[in-house]
Amino acid sequence: MGQHYTQFSSFSEAFVGFVQEARKRGFQSGIQCTKDTFESALFGLWPDKALFEYALSSLFCQEQEEREVFKKLYTQFWKQKGTVIRDKRTNKNQKSIVTNSSNTAVMLGTGETDEEEEGEEAKTTSGANAKETLKQTDFAYLTKHQSDLLDELSEKLVREMSQRLKRRKKKANKGQIDLANSIRINIQNGGNMIKLAKKNKKKDKYRLMVLLDVSGSMDKYSFYLLKFLWTLRSNFKQIEVFTFSTKLMRITDFISDKNMAVALAMVSHNASHWSSGTKIGGCLKDFNDNYAKRYLNGKTMTIVLSDGLDTGEPAILDTAMQQIKMRSKKLIWLNPLKGMQGYEPIQMGMKAALPSLNHFGSAHNFESLLTLEKLLNDA
Amino acid sequence: MVDNPRELIPIIDNLGYVIDEELATVLFLMQKLEKPLLLEGNPGVGKTKVPYILSNMLGYELVRLQCYEGLDVNNAIYEWNYQKQLLAIKISESSSKSDKEKEEMIFGEDYLLKRPLLKAISNNKRMILLIDEIDRADEEFEAFLLELLSDFQISIPELGTISAKHKPIVVLTSNRTRELGDALKRRCLYHWVDYPSPEKEMQIIKKHLPNIEAQLAEQIATFVEKVRTLKLDKTPGIAETIDWARGIAALHNDDAAMYNSLSCLLKSNNDIKVVKNEFFTK
Repeated sequence: MGQHYTQFSSFSEAFVGFVQEARKRGFQSGIQCTKDTFESALFGLWPDKALFEYALSSLFCQEQEEREVFKKLYTQFWKQKGTVIRDKRTNKNQKSIVTNSSNTAVMLGTGETDEEEEGEEAKTTSGANAKETLKQTDFAYLTKHQSDLLDELSEKLVREMSQRLKRRKKKANKGQIDLANSIRINIQNGGNMIKLAKKNKKKDKYRLMVLLDVSGSMDKYSFYLLKFLWTLRSNFKQIEVFTFSTKLMRITDFISDKNMAVALAMVSHNASHWSSGTKIGGCLKDFNDNYAKRYLNGKTMTIVLSDGLDTGEPAILDTAMQQIKMRSKKLIWLNPLKGMQGYEPIQMGMKAALPSLNHFGSAHNFESLLTLEKLLNDA
Repeated sequence: MVDNPRELIPIIDNLGYVIDEELATVLFLMQKLEKPLLLEGNPGVGKTKVPYILSNMLGYELVRLQCYEGLDVNNAIYEWNYQKQLLAIKISESSSKSDKEKEEMIFGEDYLLKRPLLKAISNNKRMILLIDEIDRADEEFEAFLLELLSDFQISIPELGTISAKHKPIVVLTSNRTRELGDALKRRCLYHWVDYPSPEKEMQIIKKHLPNIEAQLAEQIATFVEKVRTLKLDKTPGIAETIDWARGIAALHNDDAAMYNSLSCLLKSNNDIKVVKNEFFTK
């Protein structure tokens, strides 16, 4: 597969062919890029292949990880025949994550632990439909390849979401004094500051508190939810994450690592309680006693990600939920089981929690997680 | 102006910066294509030094914009000189000018304080614009830069659009504390500045400390390369290596000098412990 410059009748055609080849591999390469390719050739960099390669690499690559793939593509197209190039997408750091974190506690139940090299796997054409399907697939049924794609997609979507949320501003009558405007409106008073203009104050950023259930019954979901939280964390600064099963643990510092693989590995290393039983009430009580004062305030949205299968006393959970609700702006429960047909919140734990909730939603696929945006915006 | 990137290498070398063929090609190309250059890489690998070298080489003045969270238009582009405006209003109180004329006067060029970006494009001579650590600025500011980087113009509500008299040479640097937007990257040439190989680092050390013994320089370079493979809180950059080499030289290179001057190379207690455990316990 892949083309070679000898297949073209002239060098100009070969340049165009190369840009198209790069485009197929997922590199950014618009018309401007074709133009720049030609120009750099005209500046005398062609036919010096080493310099030409450096030049094109700076044009086509947008991050360091892409350079290796680009190098291969370049070699294959301009130098030798028969090199196999892998698609740029599968080379992203997401791949290493799965490799690094496989067979660890957080991977339990994801079915991802068997490492098979997909290497030359046909590239998924990620049109709108493929993305929609991906968003709607239940986490429990994701294949490994899909999960890699989802990592990439989720990063993009969450970033967009954070940008949209930040863009929205609220008009306010209080706030900083806008000197430039104040002068303008006071010219008619001869420069005496009688009226003051104010700048629109930016809406306060959100504070999110996420309580993630990592008990055995959540195995199929907790790994993906954790990845989602990592993505969320890298886009929203004000987010705190706790995990709970039989005991409560703060993992914000672990998932703050820039590298997802490292973050997951750290959680995995420290999470002794992963995949054990569930004592939601007890854990939330612990949270209230020890952390709530510090981390919750009137601006916080608290999100519980759990299936609600509690083995403790429902009364404890009920009280704990009420207390959390009093301390936060909104209390939301996202339950992966809610995505199943015919699901009713009739388990004792869920029943006990329901009255205190502002919102009860599902969390079984990526789309359901994205509904968070609406909730955040209404807050 | 040179015709081949390879000719740049000795020129830049003479200016005290060790450059490889790849970066030379990119610098060559950015001038030819008149595109901004985005340099990414770990802290301390010499990204910020590049525009200074360009400035030296081409003889253009350099203007630097240091980015930080919350950087806004007032600090990056322009601000009105409020004191002067207020005074002007007072002075013209008794004049017969209408309000509209007064407004036009105090929102004119005389009352404008130019910040780096505006300075770079409105200057009468070509300039080099360094936008340092763009990843620290927020996304809003990044979006704002797009207009500047693709069309070399800036819009000021009171004055209209100001186009560049001479297109500045723009260099952006990023430590990659967050991903930059695609739109920004698309407008730039991209170059990743890596930690140097031991040979290159040796050259750099010699460049900064011409009197250093070759053997010591080599020892330092190979050692630093090993240190960089460890998992440290802060991996030492080139600047640290040079500091360390200076430190060792100042201690007259006695046996314990390397051990005692480690604090020049490593900037956290934890890292020093790790390195001492790894290399200095016998």
